[in-house]
Amino acid sequence: MKASRWLAGMAALAWSGTAALAQDTYEIWHYYAAGSELAGMNALIEAGNAASPDTQFTGVIIPGNVVELRRQLQTAFLSGQPPALYQSSMAYELKTFVDGGRLHPLTDVWSRIKGDEIFPEGVQRVVKVDGVPYGVPFDLSLINNVFYNKAAFEKLGLQPPTDWDSFTAACTALREAGYQPLGNAGGPFWSLYNFYAALVSVVGEDGYYKIARGELGFDSPEFREALDLYRDRMVSCYAENWSGKTWTQTADDVINGDTAMFMMGIWVAAYFEQANFLAGEGFDMFQAPGTAGKSIFQMDVLAVPEGTEGSIAAAEQFIEAAASTEGQAAFAVPKGSLAPNVNVDPSVYGYAGSTFSRQFAEASQANAVLPNLFFLLPTSVGTELGVQIERFAIDPSDTVKEELVTTLEGLRQQALTDNAFIQW
Amino acid sequence: MSTTLRQRQTVLTRTVLYGMAILFLAPLVVAVITSIKSPVEITRVLALPTEFYWQNYAAAISRMGRSFLNSIAITVPAVAFSILVGALAGYPLAYMRGSSGKVVYFLLLTGMLVPFQIVQIPLFFLVQRMGLHDTIPGMWMVHTAYAVPFCTFFMRNFFASVPRSMYEAALIDGCGPFLYFWKLLLPASASGLAALAIIQSRAIWNDLLFAITLTASDKARPVTVQIAGFASSLQVEYGPLMAATVISVVPVMAAYLLFQKSFVRGLLGGAGK
Amino acid sequence: MAIQPTRRFSRTDWTHLGFLALPTLLFAVFYIYPVISSIRLSLHSWDGFAPTMRYVGFQNYLSLAQDTRFLGAVRNNVIWVAFMLVVPSGLGLLLAAILDRGIRGERAFRIIFFLPFTIPAVAVAAIWRWMYEPDNGLLTTVLDLVGLGGLAQNWLGDPGVVNYALMGAVAWWTTGFAFLVFFAGLRNVPVECIEAARIEGATPWQVFWKVSFPLLWPSTIIVLGMSAIDAMRLFDVVWATTRGGPAYSSDVLATLTYDLAFGRLEMGRATAVAVYLMAIAAVIIMPYIIYMSRRVQDSEAE
Repeated sequence: MKASRWLAGMAALAWSGTAALAQDTYEIWHYYAAGSELAGMNALIEAGNAASPDTQFTGVIIPGNVVELRRQLQTAFLSGQPPALYQSSMAYELKTFVDGGRLHPLTDVWSRIKGDEIFPEGVQRVVKVDGVPYGVPFDLSLINNVFYNKAAFEKLGLQPPTDWDSFTAACTALREAGYQPLGNAGGPFWSLYNFYAALVSVVGEDGYYKIARGELGFDSPEFREALDLYRDRMVSCYAENWSGKTWTQTADDVINGDTAMFMMGIWVAAYFEQANFLAGEGFDMFQAPGTAGKSIFQMDVLAVPEGTEGSIAAAEQFIEAAASTEGQAAFAVPKGSLAPNVNVDPSVYGYAGSTFSRQFAEASQANAVLPNLFFLLPTSVGTELGVQIERFAIDPSDTVKEELVTTLEGLRQQALTDNAFIQW
Repeated sequence: MSTTLRQRQTVLTRTVLYGMAILFLAPLVVAVITSIKSPVEITRVLALPTEFYWQNYAAAISRMGRSFLNSIAITVPAVAFSILVGALAGYPLAYMRGSSGKVVYFLLLTGMLVPFQIVQIPLFFLVQRMGLHDTIPGMWMVHTAYAVPFCTFFMRNFFASVPRSMYEAALIDGCGPFLYFWKLLLPASASGLAALAIIQSRAIWNDLLFAITLTASDKARPVTVQIAGFASSLQVEYGPLMAATVISVVPVMAAYLLFQKSFVRGLLGGAGK
Repeated sequence: MAIQPTRRFSRTDWTHLGFLALPTLLFAVFYIYPVISSIRLSLHSWDGFAPTMRYVGFQNYLSLAQDTRFLGAVRNNVIWVAFMLVVPSGLGLLLAAILDRGIRGERAFRIIFFLPFTIPAVAVAAIWRWMYEPDNGLLTTVLDLVGLGGLAQNWLGDPGVVNYALMGAVAWWTTGFAFLVFFAGLRNVPVECIEAARIEGATPWQVFWKVSFPLLWPSTIIVLGMSAIDAMRLFDVVWATTRGGPAYSSDVLATLTYDLAFGRLEMGRATAVAVYLMAIAAVIIMPYIIYMSRRVQDSEAE
């Protein structure tokens, strides 16, 4: 019984302790816990705090990824103690929270930062729900670049491929020379991101959005054709045993010259450089076949939970600083991502970053900026799409293809019944 | 039995022992080697490092900082409480006759089947209402509570190995059930208590799930949260992660070496007097 | 709570009740309340963030019963139970038995066999990701070196292999538990019994099987009971290593619950999986533990 008395005593002590501590700082929750991701986040918080010395933010790291963050947020929302700001994914992720009445509309601060001018149209689309902005972009990564080991290409006299045929020719030449032509890694994202290249080349930007809106079926001839293209042109090039590797292990294979090409988000460039494998020297990149002149991107935004007047005002002040060119560069440069704000001077980036920046500017002008389909689809459809594409990449048989089509089409019909698609 | 057969047996057991030791050590060697590699060298998993990259340890220590002390402040009392509660419950359940004891035992055991990932929301509410959110005593309470089924199960079975005749003799000698528990049963179960202390030290020290839900700041965050932090959404800092792991294993090993000293052969006859 | 003071209570009974009070109170607060609220949630459809949830009755349970992913996870859990009962437990017993004989370097071996058990799950996952790297990992490299390269697999990437690979990692991680409990149990065997057997000329192995092992029954129950339970609620290492992939092939019920709840925001369905998990475990594992526990009492009564 001693234990319980102890506990009660300590509880009383602890209670008085917390009550005495007045809150004058706010929290920003994020899952950028390590390496260049953490460096970027810390720089962003520093920039935000410097701009408004009377309200200070501290970063609270939720180890894991968006899944773990959602779990944390759920308890926080239910107990009425959400953070003032948090790192959110775009599009459907925002919609879920908006529908739950959890997020504060950012209309005021959006007009103050001139959000409609500083962010490209394709970016704006995925932070607004029914025309109202709920998230402010701070972290953008392109996912349609193929990175290649320059030494391998030079040895075989290969030029960066520009279309599917030259891509296939490069694959064949590389395989014959003893290289694993194209790296990939296990998990529900990487195969899916590769598949987007095939998908966009078949259905184009319009078709891509049609799928996102639930208008184009997974059993349509176009979608099947994209699956075939992916299988014939990319899956056939994949390195042996790719599904048993993490993306960093495959990146190591590229560094060590075992694998020649790797289609991956641009964060891999930061990883390469950290291992002293430098852009323009050790590796270079090109836009995946079918996506030349286009940008498919993945993005994180700052979202503001409904809270006290003080917390919302503080969050909006922080956002103003974070959306400025200085704030955007403060994050993007150490992180190795792109600043979504178009006014950020490309000269802040190195060789790799300025290439990505140029790609993104071109795509913005051509109105060919495509958000990651995973986050445009209702959460359960997007997640299942990732799993099914990986499964198909491991076993590209007709049986698996038919199962994939049936499963996804079933989910699409269900989502249509539930009215779950968004009219992007 | 002939001596050659006996020798052959010894050779066989030695071979098994050394073989197993190598299997158990190999992954640890990889971990330790990685902990002293620079980011450049980490891209080749099996290659030996050319230099001792101590920065991994510096990064691990600076990141762990105060959380290391939090972990100690959480683990030591929580281990003591959980063993105490387990022993309290295990004793009557090992000796009670009749169905009521079995019902309680069954109920407590079902508790072990609750997947912790799913009870986080109600748990958070409970702890918050008690005013124990983000406090070290809150962690003691939660670790003690969630150890009830396992510790009860463990101690009940360990107590059951103490011959019942000893219990009956003690009662006849006029030694009450409480005195028996305190003076005879606990000392006779020293190795069981020690084993449980080791297991609980390891379980509480390594807990991540409760720590993430129930702590929010440096005031109470344990070291596991910081270790998990070396694995980010996209990146994993393997060098510091392994360095932090090596460091964080030390306290649990210390507890192991300390408690396993109690693993000495009991003299039951002697304990009964 | 379950004890009704209907018959005459002796002082012993009251002491027993007193001993049970605190554990039972903690249990009621921290287990019964969350479990009841989970069962309630499993009858609803809820994304985890909406202010209201929709009552759907048993629909979550019914649709899961036909879901191939759910059934695959159940099957994997059953295989895990079988594995955990045999491999880490058997290995732990073997190692404890060898070391209990007092072998040279015993202390070092005791440390080696326990070490992996002290490592946090995140680090275990990272270490085994290297061990199992299909081309350059330690396992493949060693197999190549000894000329068995043909046995090398795509350890974590082949849906037909990944579960066995994970089992290897878990055996490495958790054998220390069985080893520790058996070792403590062996050291609890009264010296007199062992001496008596030795004087009669028994070999160490005979002493072990004829004298020590029968007295190890309580330790055996602890190890087997916990192995079965840990296998049912297995989560950490699987989630940190494969997240149930590739393509659900290494899913177990706990990873499925977690993915449904926070990966797909289907809280009601996720909770229904958790309730199924408890129910399956209660049907398969509980009777077995109770049965074994009864045997302890019976053997004492003799």
